[in-house]
Amino acid sequence: MSSVSTKELIHAYVQLPGVLRQNFKELRSQAKDNLDNCAFPTKKDEEWRFTDLKSITMNKFESVDTGEAHIDLELDEYHLPESMNSRLVFIDGNYSPLHSAIEGMPDGVIVGNINDFPEHEQLRSHLGTMTNYEDDVFVPLNDVNFQDGTFIYIPKETVIEQPIHILNVFTNLNNSHFVTPRVLFVGEMYSKATIIEEHIGLSDNVYLNVPVNEFRLYSGAHVHHARIQRDSKNASHISRPVAMLDAHAEYHSYTICLGSKLFRNEPRVIQNAEEVDFTVDGLVLIDGKQIADTHSIMDHRFSHGNSHQLHKVVVNDQAHSIFNGKIFVAKDAQKIDSFQENRNLLISDTGKVNTKPQLEIFADDVRCSHGATIGQLQDEEVFYLQSRGLTEQKSRELLVYAFALESVESMAVKSVEELLLKEVIAYTNRD
Amino acid sequence: MLEIRNLHAIVEGEELEILKGVNLKVNKGEIHAIMGPNGSGKSTLSKVVSGHPEYEVTEGTISFEGQDITEMDADERAHLGLFLAFQYPVEVPGITNKTLLREAYNTIARANEREELDPLEFEDYLVSKLEIIEMKDEFLNRSINTGFSGGEKKKNEIFQMAVLNPRLSFLDETDSGLDIDALKVVSDGVNKIATPENAIVMITHYQRLLNYIKPDFVHVMMNGKIVKSGDISLAEELEANGYDQMQKELA
Repeated sequence: MSSVSTKELIHAYVQLPGVLRQNFKELRSQAKDNLDNCAFPTKKDEEWRFTDLKSITMNKFESVDTGEAHIDLELDEYHLPESMNSRLVFIDGNYSPLHSAIEGMPDGVIVGNINDFPEHEQLRSHLGTMTNYEDDVFVPLNDVNFQDGTFIYIPKETVIEQPIHILNVFTNLNNSHFVTPRVLFVGEMYSKATIIEEHIGLSDNVYLNVPVNEFRLYSGAHVHHARIQRDSKNASHISRPVAMLDAHAEYHSYTICLGSKLFRNEPRVIQNAEEVDFTVDGLVLIDGKQIADTHSIMDHRFSHGNSHQLHKVVVNDQAHSIFNGKIFVAKDAQKIDSFQENRNLLISDTGKVNTKPQLEIFADDVRCSHGATIGQLQDEEVFYLQSRGLTEQKSRELLVYAFALESVESMAVKSVEELLLKEVIAYTNRD
Repeated sequence: MLEIRNLHAIVEGEELEILKGVNLKVNKGEIHAIMGPNGSGKSTLSKVVSGHPEYEVTEGTISFEGQDITEMDADERAHLGLFLAFQYPVEVPGITNKTLLREAYNTIARANEREELDPLEFEDYLVSKLEIIEMKDEFLNRSINTGFSGGEKKKNEIFQMAVLNPRLSFLDETDSGLDIDALKVVSDGVNKIATPENAIVMITHYQRLLNYIKPDFVHVMMNGKIVKSGDISLAEELEANGYDQMQKELA
């Protein structure tokens, strides 16, 4: 870590609660020690050199326990028809039993608020074990601060048919509030689940959203995980989702970035045994002065792993997309098949894209490929559609829509696919 | 129907003139063929007439059904009933043939104050046109030209022409790259679409296509101009003697 004296401490930007929160004291106290020695990243750090953090550093955020029940808050329009009995709702970081609905889960399944199970063996043995991000302030910030959170435990050979919807809602609080959603998912052998994690800002207020997810998949467990980020246009969102996979586990994740002024997503998937299969796809649709930054790691530590990453980006106006995709293959991790592709479509003259594939391969019998493209709409494509009678505007919209579509079609939940199609259309029809 | 007068055109932003005073008149019910060596400007003519933004008209006019269309956008020309079958049809992954054609058909219908077709009606209408180019239903749900063979791409152009039912179609080198079977399907399709109410201008390098689609008029284009016009015998003469011989005669 570079010297603290040259950098500003995290406390300059985020005001944490004075006393440690009650539960998970050990985790919190260690995180607090880390934070006291941690500096806030700047552009001098290699991993942050393209990312403008002004939307955080221009503000002072404060952790607030609202404790409000939000009885009058109407959230029906955000509920998924597939998840009417499998929904957890968090409002400004607080669990809302009133808006949540969990019913008819198979025996032994837990889907609930992390604070209701502080002594649960599976929770204690997993929480905080997967998130060792190097020189990082954001995981410890979440560790110290999270109030409520999601705990999902699925016993052996148990399949949850309905998707579990984790809905994080941000209301129009006046202060610049700091919220730290947390998810711990433990899937035992051959269990199966679909998780829809959503972040929605109800207005255009300023807040800092720092979610941390830990997904532990034991042998043969299958998880589909969609992450939909529709934060307020003035929010900052720094995400740390980690998944750790044992043999024959499959983890397919799709992150859709639509909102927030600053989005920094650092997904990591760790291959913890032989023969796993995972996907880390992304779709980013940004305009105005939005910044969307994905720094991902596909970490193959054992042999026979398949991984696939398609990261698609559309940039309009002065928006800025950053992509850094790391593929690690350890020395003895043979027969890895890993594929990474980052495709960027610039539809304005002032947008900006930085892309960097980063492959670190120490095994000698692997197949790893990567590609990155940055392009504009081709005049010939526009003319082709226009010559069939479509207006120039409609032709461009259709081409952007087609570009984004590929990422949406693989969505496992019908209503989420429809929601995203609407978002794609709204984005392309903006003018 | 179409009248081109003294048409001069350049590639936008460049000085070199590609069309150097083209004159052409096409009436309804007629089939024309424009032949010429590579680089003579015949493909450029079809693009300029259909409104490709890469070209700029520096002199002359194009009028269609009595309207001056020289400055119109490509989509407005399509609304009036102009169609271009591309020499190199563009691949558009992610948009199906059906989606494009429904959008196109209904946009043109709206522009002409005709009734739009709802998805079910349109599906029936599309399927009824498939036999023109001997294609199966699944063709409709494939992304536009994506992964199509050369022959399939050309068939798709003729299929789009059948669906949009234009008044005047330019077929730009529709025969190039087709094997004999595909050429027969494509030219049968064009013959089925041709009526006394519409018109077709074929652009081709070789006489081969004209064995299947009989033109009423044949024009020879060289160096940015139509240098000779006649009937089918002109094409036969070219096939026998080549473009060099004709160039010498004209000189």
